[in-house]
Amino acid sequence: MLKKRGFLYELNKNKVMFLMLMPTLIFFLINSYFPMVGIYYAFTSYDFAGGLFGSPFVGLDNFKFLYQSGALWKLTINTIGYNIVFIVLGNVLAIAIAILISEIRGKLFKKFTQSIMFLPYFMSFVLLSVLAYNMFNFESGFFNQVLKSLGIAPVDIYNTPWVWPILITVFYIWKNLGYSMIIYLASIMGISDEYYEAAKIDGANIIQRIWHITVPMLKPTFVILLLFALGSIMKGQFDLFYQLVGNNGLLYDVTDIIDTYVYRSLKVNFDIGMATAAGLYQSLFGFVLIMTVNYIIKKINEDYALF
Amino acid sequence: MVKRRILTICTALLLVTSMLAGCGGKEKDAGNSSTDNAQTKDNGTEASNADSKDNKPAGVDTSKKVELQFYMLGDAPKDLPIIQEEINKLALADLNATVKFNFTTWTDWEQKYKLLLSSGQPIDLIFTADWTQYQSYAKKGAFLPLDDLLPKAAPKLNEFVPKDMWEAVKIDKKIYTVPATWKEYVTEGIAYREDLRKKYNLPKPESIETLEQYLDGIRKNEPNLLPLADNQGYHTDAIRQLTTQTVNSTGTIRYGVNIMYDTPRDVTSYWGSPQHLADLKMYKKWADKGYWPKNVLNVKDSGHDVFASGKAAAILGSENPNRFNDSVIKIKSIHPDWELGYFPYPNAKGFASPVHPIHNGFAIPRSSKNPERALAFYEKMVTDKKYNWLTQYGIEGKHFEIEDGKYYKMLGDAQSSGFQREGMQSWAWRNPEFMLFDKSFDAVLTMFNEFDKTAKPDYFQGFPEDWTPYQAEKAAVEQVEKQYLYPLNVGLVEDVEAGLNTFMEKAKQAGLEKIQSEYTKQWEDYLKSAGIQ
Amino acid sequence: MKDNNSGMSLLFKTSAYLIITLISLACLFPFLLMISGSFTSNESIIRDGFHLIPQVFSLEGYKMIFTFPDQLLKAYSVTILVTVVGTVTGLFLITMTGYVLQRKDFKYRNKFSFFIYFTTLFGGGLVPWYIMITKYFNMSDTYAVLILPGLMTPFLIILMKNFIKSAIPDEIFESAKIDGANDFRIYYSIVLKLSMPGVATVGLFLALTYWNDWFLSSLFINDTSMYQLQYYLYNTINTMLFVSQMATGTGVTLAKEIPTESTKMAMALVVTGPIVFLYPFVQRYFVKGLTIGAVKG
Repeated sequence: MLKKRGFLYELNKNKVMFLMLMPTLIFFLINSYFPMVGIYYAFTSYDFAGGLFGSPFVGLDNFKFLYQSGALWKLTINTIGYNIVFIVLGNVLAIAIAILISEIRGKLFKKFTQSIMFLPYFMSFVLLSVLAYNMFNFESGFFNQVLKSLGIAPVDIYNTPWVWPILITVFYIWKNLGYSMIIYLASIMGISDEYYEAAKIDGANIIQRIWHITVPMLKPTFVILLLFALGSIMKGQFDLFYQLVGNNGLLYDVTDIIDTYVYRSLKVNFDIGMATAAGLYQSLFGFVLIMTVNYIIKKINEDYALF
Repeated sequence: MVKRRILTICTALLLVTSMLAGCGGKEKDAGNSSTDNAQTKDNGTEASNADSKDNKPAGVDTSKKVELQFYMLGDAPKDLPIIQEEINKLALADLNATVKFNFTTWTDWEQKYKLLLSSGQPIDLIFTADWTQYQSYAKKGAFLPLDDLLPKAAPKLNEFVPKDMWEAVKIDKKIYTVPATWKEYVTEGIAYREDLRKKYNLPKPESIETLEQYLDGIRKNEPNLLPLADNQGYHTDAIRQLTTQTVNSTGTIRYGVNIMYDTPRDVTSYWGSPQHLADLKMYKKWADKGYWPKNVLNVKDSGHDVFASGKAAAILGSENPNRFNDSVIKIKSIHPDWELGYFPYPNAKGFASPVHPIHNGFAIPRSSKNPERALAFYEKMVTDKKYNWLTQYGIEGKHFEIEDGKYYKMLGDAQSSGFQREGMQSWAWRNPEFMLFDKSFDAVLTMFNEFDKTAKPDYFQGFPEDWTPYQAEKAAVEQVEKQYLYPLNVGLVEDVEAGLNTFMEKAKQAGLEKIQSEYTKQWEDYLKSAGIQ
Repeated sequence: MKDNNSGMSLLFKTSAYLIITLISLACLFPFLLMISGSFTSNESIIRDGFHLIPQVFSLEGYKMIFTFPDQLLKAYSVTILVTVVGTVTGLFLITMTGYVLQRKDFKYRNKFSFFIYFTTLFGGGLVPWYIMITKYFNMSDTYAVLILPGLMTPFLIILMKNFIKSAIPDEIFESAKIDGANDFRIYYSIVLKLSMPGVATVGLFLALTYWNDWFLSSLFINDTSMYQLQYYLYNTINTMLFVSQMATGTGVTLAKEIPTESTKMAMALVVTGPIVFLYPFVQRYFVKGLTIGAVKG
């Protein structure tokens, strides 16, 4: 009796809202939940005659290639490490730039620069890696030519591992700054001018106004972006790493992430089971992380939590 | 609060599990029904065999009109619709069937190939090759065995392909693909700037010593010219073709296992051997001499492009007779005063091996609904000149014409032609009996004839390696190779010996020994079953 | 006191202009290289790399593309159609969902949010989804397969929810309900108008995803007249890649003329070009302060 009252009652009270939600729910049910049965592949050795359920069950065998070479630990650290830097640095910069833009008055300048800063999003990593090679290669790269003209000895960037975490971060930020900036800019646009007026009257200077009004109002947006990013913390920007580093084994210790490792392992080995196993590993990790963080955030401020 | 959360998760899981049950049934049924179809067709044709003679191939029931799905790699030629229409006119009359030609393009083709085969969608004919993992797919049951189908549905084809080729493509004693019968050589060689050689009076690069002399000469006299165009470390396989007689004619050594052509039973480990150390030291010497750029592992251009655009003086790998011919033609059009020289590796080895039958073939996937019609159609593609010329060269008078009574000549140029020679990537259904060649290909054919004189069969390509017993180790070792061996191969590691030791250590950690012993065992079994001494 | 503030404001604004300019230049630079590259002869690119000004001017990259203009035009029309239909439909659905999910009086909103969000954590992988679409839904070579899978993503939905939540205070909903409007009317007449910056942002991102997609085309489209722009570009690039990677050791040669570096650049420009202008167009919706009037009124 009580249960019936609960769900069906709600359903009736908010008929229209449920109806509005229906298409979306159906969409995700079909597009995402139905195929989830495929997770089972992670535990089979695929056989064409048997298909998904006829293939022999092999337990955790498919996960072996991940840890057998001893690389898993390093890969996990690289993947997570890069993601943390990307998240923190990316968001801080995006917020900063968005704020700067919102405070500028010159309309034409604003329009122009916003579009320009959004441009990198459109450049595919394939092209980017070609340009990068052009810039950094030892013999004729643009970078080295500038050094030479200044009388400094050329640097072999492609064979200097410690430079790469920095380089990759720079490339990532370069490409994604525009995208994140727009999101924050849109949020700032939603802040009512009244707050700023009131603060000005109270004598707050521009820095104080930003710090006490804009930044706190951006918190919900930041939390959302953070949570989404955390859920994918074990997955990487495959294109970014694969295209820039390519087959240069010297750099793998500092630049290899799970996605590139799996890709290289399975390029010739077309095994569906192993690929699914790797994906499952990444998913489980992200899942545990998200559930924990969301729970914590909920305790702090229910509104900010994702669910 | 937590209870509600658990409830949600349980509901989600319940949904998933119910789907598991539902979908499972469907998959199984789909798999069974296609084999059922094949069975009933077989029974059906037994009866109609007596009635249908003349045009229609004897063992095939053509009473129901079907549409065959034909899959090939690469891009579709512009005029595909025209060709498809012409073919369908013929196929409808001959076999009461139409064909849809599908192409995977080169974008992500490996992924697509895998999906096409594993999705169970009805596909009647698909391309196979050693480099599309034919052996692995066949072993895992992706294709239908053709042994019984051939005499019934494609007797002409059965006769046309020589017995030894059928044998060569058998996996676990069954035929899973129809091999291409044109004998071609894809052996490589050293391609180099002949005009520069003459100018500076350098020796012809035909051995390691003369190669080094040539390259040193280039380095000294043309400081802005790159000596070697090879990148990504591909030169190691090429050098092996020059200096040894590995059983794998491309020079690639799998898992560091060394097998020589003349002594196939003698299996040694090249990796970590003194020879390996010596070779690596040589590569370091070359790197120090500046034969290739320091960042050679990151170069994006293909070696062939680098060479053909004149950026480098020589290239060791990737120039087989056909490609070399290409380079010659390309260079002649841009720089007519340059001259190219070529030293084929078979000349150093003493013999040449034509491609293994597995190199180009067509198979019928398990999901096909019309295996007999598909095979009969493929027979037409190969043995019937009308079908063959349409799909190889296009329409005579529109896409090509015959020059001097025997040469192929393209009408229009590369930009405007809607169907170029072999425009459908039709390598698999070439028929040597009525193949047409462009005049410029004569040079290549001459080389092939030379090679024929010293030809010895390639029995490595037919080796059906089954890596499932060591797939985890294989993936791990490949990683180690990329990280530790590649830099050694291009001479980027200062202390070569220490570098090699590190590599061997890591490789052993990743399970190299297990791979090598299992691989050797499979190899020996293969030798026995193929009757190779 | 006021003087102090305007001095700091000035300093702040000047540094803002400076920083933004520098960043813009950094963002622009590679594009200039790309544009210049598209007008350079292929041989010059391979030999000397990319420069801000073409070393050897040539239109060969563009020639290759425009020899078969009908293919390019077809790709354009398919892409535009899919983008427009997809974005409009998707926006409609996303805003509706975002609105419902942020309503405080909607009891199950958190569970539904989780239901949607969960799909970003776990997935069955490519194969089962592919099988479902080709075998069970038979959607290969249809417009549906290009439009439907991309209609919404959990990220955009939750983003939208957030925009609506911060842009529209609860009072507005309450007063509207008192006035007797049902939920859909509220959504339609109030929410959409007041959260314009959010709608514009999500719409922009959605349009971009459709425009840039090549994956769906690659997997499900065999009919060359239905190829989308990015896929068309990728094919060109990948044909080159294939030849350079696979030809070594497999001896495979292709009949077609292999497109060149300059073609790659030219193509990238032609394919990306138009969409870059979408953002400036959308900027006009980034207008502040629409809420003020609403509350007071």
